[in-house]
Amino acid sequence: MATARKSMIKFKPKKFKVGDTIKVDFIVIHPMETGTRKDKKTGKIKPAKFINNITFSLDGKPFTTMKVWETVSTNPYFSVNLKVLGKGKITVDYTDNTGEKNSKSKKLKPKG
Amino acid sequence: MERRNFIKSMCAVTAVAAVVTPSALLAKGAPKGGNVLSYDAAVAAITGGKAVTDSSKVKLTVPEIAENGAVVPVKVNVESPMTDANYVKAIHVLGTKNGNARCADVMLTPLNGKGYFATRIKLGGTQDVVALVEMSDGSFLRAAKPVKVTIGGCG
Repeated sequence: MATARKSMIKFKPKKFKVGDTIKVDFIVIHPMETGTRKDKKTGKIKPAKFINNITFSLDGKPFTTMKVWETVSTNPYFSVNLKVLGKGKITVDYTDNTGEKNSKSKKLKPKG
Repeated sequence: MERRNFIKSMCAVTAVAAVVTPSALLAKGAPKGGNVLSYDAAVAAITGGKAVTDSSKVKLTVPEIAENGAVVPVKVNVESPMTDANYVKAIHVLGTKNGNARCADVMLTPLNGKGYFATRIKLGGTQDVVALVEMSDGSFLRAAKPVKVTIGGCG
């Protein structure tokens, strides 16, 4: 399946101030194939394809790193907290077991 | 004929898998799909033999009954001041009876502000979901909750 891979970063709540602790949600469109399922048409086992490393960084400095296995659901969602200390840029880098790398970033703009 | 060949190849695969012990799999490091890492082996790999205590500081939120095992929301909240001296170092999410017990390892820093992590995991059947939390002083806390799965998600 050669679908265009998409990812999304969301801040919750949307409006926040300096000093607030917000949720940083990261959602990826990814098959997260376990490597044990069979393709019903061909009878062959589908090769494993899952995200195994995720790094959340603020201005290039990682604040959360994750190791993930195939037991995480398809189109995974990860949520962590972040204490807002000022303006910045959140970048999420992820790699899967086939070596595919991707990243997504979003600006952090606290008000007040 | 195709089916016959397939069964033959499957037998070969299982024979090889039986020879390779879990410790050998651990030594390989990079997890391959469908590897077997039991819950006890996973806990041992995380804690390195250290004592794990059940704690009310760790709050694990999972549904009592999951209709679809492929998508089970898991939320972990850990009470911690999250200062440089005392913070939540890591949150591990495990399923006791999944083929691969480990779901996610999350390494946190004081910058997170709160010991919180949420995701969605797959569960192969009715089992306990375990949150294993490593604090910055090296102690391990644990919280577990059973989840009833009506349709497995690893099939």
